[in-house]
Amino acid sequence: MTVQSTQATSAVKVSRLVKHYGDMVALDYFDLDVKTGEIFGLLGPNGSGKTTAINCILALLAYDSGTIRVFGEPMTPTSYALKRRIGIVPQNVAVFNELTVTENIDYFCSLYVPNKADRVPLVEEAIEFAGLQDFRKFRPGKLSGGLLRRLNIACGVAHKPDLIFFDEPTVAVDPQSRNAILEGIRRLNRNGATVIYTSHYMEEVEQICDRILIMDHGRHLALGTADELKAMIDTGERITIATLDLTDDALAAIRALPRVIDATYDGRELDVRCRRGDRNLTDVLDTARRFGVNIGHLTSRPPTLNDVFLELTGKALRD
Amino acid sequence: MWTTFLVVLKMNLRSRSALFWLIVFPIVLATMFNGVFGQITEGYDIKPMSMAVVKDANWKRTAGAGAFVDALAGKEPSSDATTGAHEGTATGLDQQLIDITTVTSTAEARRRIADDAVQGYLNADGSGRLRMTLSSDTAGTATSSDGNVTVTIAALHGAIELYNRTDAITRETLEDHPTAAASARFWRSVGDAAGLTREVTLTNVKPDPIARYYYALLGMSCLMAMSYAVAAVTFAQANLSALGIRRTVAPLGRVRQLLAGFLASWLCAGTSLLIALAYIRYGCGVLLGGREPAAVLAVGVASFMSCALGTMIGAIPRLPHGVKIGLTSAISCVLSLFSGLYGSFAMELSDWITRHAPVLALVNPAQQVTNLFYDILYYDGYRPFAATCVNLLVMSAVFLAVGAILLRRQRYEHL
Repeated sequence: MTVQSTQATSAVKVSRLVKHYGDMVALDYFDLDVKTGEIFGLLGPNGSGKTTAINCILALLAYDSGTIRVFGEPMTPTSYALKRRIGIVPQNVAVFNELTVTENIDYFCSLYVPNKADRVPLVEEAIEFAGLQDFRKFRPGKLSGGLLRRLNIACGVAHKPDLIFFDEPTVAVDPQSRNAILEGIRRLNRNGATVIYTSHYMEEVEQICDRILIMDHGRHLALGTADELKAMIDTGERITIATLDLTDDALAAIRALPRVIDATYDGRELDVRCRRGDRNLTDVLDTARRFGVNIGHLTSRPPTLNDVFLELTGKALRD
Repeated sequence: MWTTFLVVLKMNLRSRSALFWLIVFPIVLATMFNGVFGQITEGYDIKPMSMAVVKDANWKRTAGAGAFVDALAGKEPSSDATTGAHEGTATGLDQQLIDITTVTSTAEARRRIADDAVQGYLNADGSGRLRMTLSSDTAGTATSSDGNVTVTIAALHGAIELYNRTDAITRETLEDHPTAAASARFWRSVGDAAGLTREVTLTNVKPDPIARYYYALLGMSCLMAMSYAVAAVTFAQANLSALGIRRTVAPLGRVRQLLAGFLASWLCAGTSLLIALAYIRYGCGVLLGGREPAAVLAVGVASFMSCALGTMIGAIPRLPHGVKIGLTSAISCVLSLFSGLYGSFAMELSDWITRHAPVLALVNPAQQVTNLFYDILYYDGYRPFAATCVNLLVMSAVFLAVGAILLRRQRYEHL
């Protein structure tokens, strides 16, 4: 019962948010409801309005209309009690290059926890959380990219916030560091923190997020778990066949199959998107054989979050 | 707020570029000034020249010549000289101008010159006038680069000319009033210039034209210290840096963060200026007119203005931090040109602006900081210093007001 009640509480609730930059609409009646205790993924192409939405939620940006409530209270630039419960890990590493690892974490923690005695164990815990024990006295200039990212995270979470914003925290880090960062985020969530996570790495989002919202042009496009999102799109199966002798007639025949949405061929590989169905693979293979196509390597897989993302937001390049 | 103050302080003190430009650079430049100007000053010192004195028949007929050259040589008048009629003649110089070598004829004197034993000789002509003859080497040196020789020769010329004029006047007086020769009072008055001129001090201390260059250097250092405040503002503003985003989201008000940054920057700017001032005063020996406490106050006012200007520049939206630091250096360098830092041409330009366009001098912070120290050194009272302080504080108020307006208007549209 308690769990259900907690799940029902909104950590962040945004209703009909509108934000213009001059004539450009950045947020167009945008809605968002992040439940307490979940890891919530916010996805969208560049310029879709993700950062604007987050900055509005954090009261860094003024907006034209709509409401924003964090833990049930309106968020303003002077909502200091609310701000104490929020942590932010910006995309760009935001630390002082002149301070050591410990000094950086201590300073950012001090903005939330003024008492030094209260702060000391928190800083220590953050250092251990980020695995920076061996680098306490290092300045950021001496840290590798992965360690820097971990320091960036430690600075954002040392004060043990209830709500943490992660803005692409794994950009330009190696797989080991990425894995450590994602594991750390899961640990924070297990300890009770609500996480809002933005990234362009779909597999990461799929891996750690409980629910995902895809937005574009400042609007909410789709919301659900990864499986729910995959179920929302037409593509149910993706078949890839390596072949060097696919003729135009064969390609046209494959495209004409009843459950095929689209088929493309680049001279080496045939890529077929199909709706959900039990006989997609055999239908495609039969058609190929009928036209005498020699088949090399073949794969069939269900749609990924990346497919969902591209189908919802389109393949056109963004700024 | 205290932690933010300490962090900005640490950030400033650990910034190598800031340490170089704000502490090392002024000291290096002051040392260079000291080397260059020190040599120039020494070059204008009077150094005695070796001169032969031709004590021939003409000399012996020229009463007072012996006492005169003894005075030039910094010696007590010899007994034979004091017997002369012109015993009261004074050179008006406190310094030794010549080292005497006595010869009996001009021919011998020329030989001594040819042997490089002396640089010239003094003799008396038939009419009792003293004449100075210089070796060609000495004359050549005087017209070229050796400042010491030039100054010493000029002083000798002046003294000999004064002697000859006094001698001529004395002779004319005795021709008109032969009875005066019997008056001891007349002879005491001959050549006595005491009471005719009086040394008046118009400034607090003896003027030192070189000091202005050091003060202009302090003006430039002061403006360079803007970079502290620029960084403090940039790293606290969400639209100017990622650090600013993180700090703005924190539950510590923006005003308190900016205030902590300003105070830390002021302390750093003041400290760096104090170090430069101490080095200039005690390392380079540039005077402050015995008003060191006022100079410390001047540093406080100047560094406050510098941080106010830095706050305004730091608050300019959309410019990256690096561009602002570049702007800070450019402003410091350009304004220092008009405050006279870059040599005599710049100093003349600064004086020209002060005379012909005083408003421009009044609104040039580098000039005003230079004036702060100039006022301390030269003026008898503190009124000009206080006026410059007020001017700098008004400037600071304007800079802070503009900075505050810029900061208030920023709604982070470009995060």
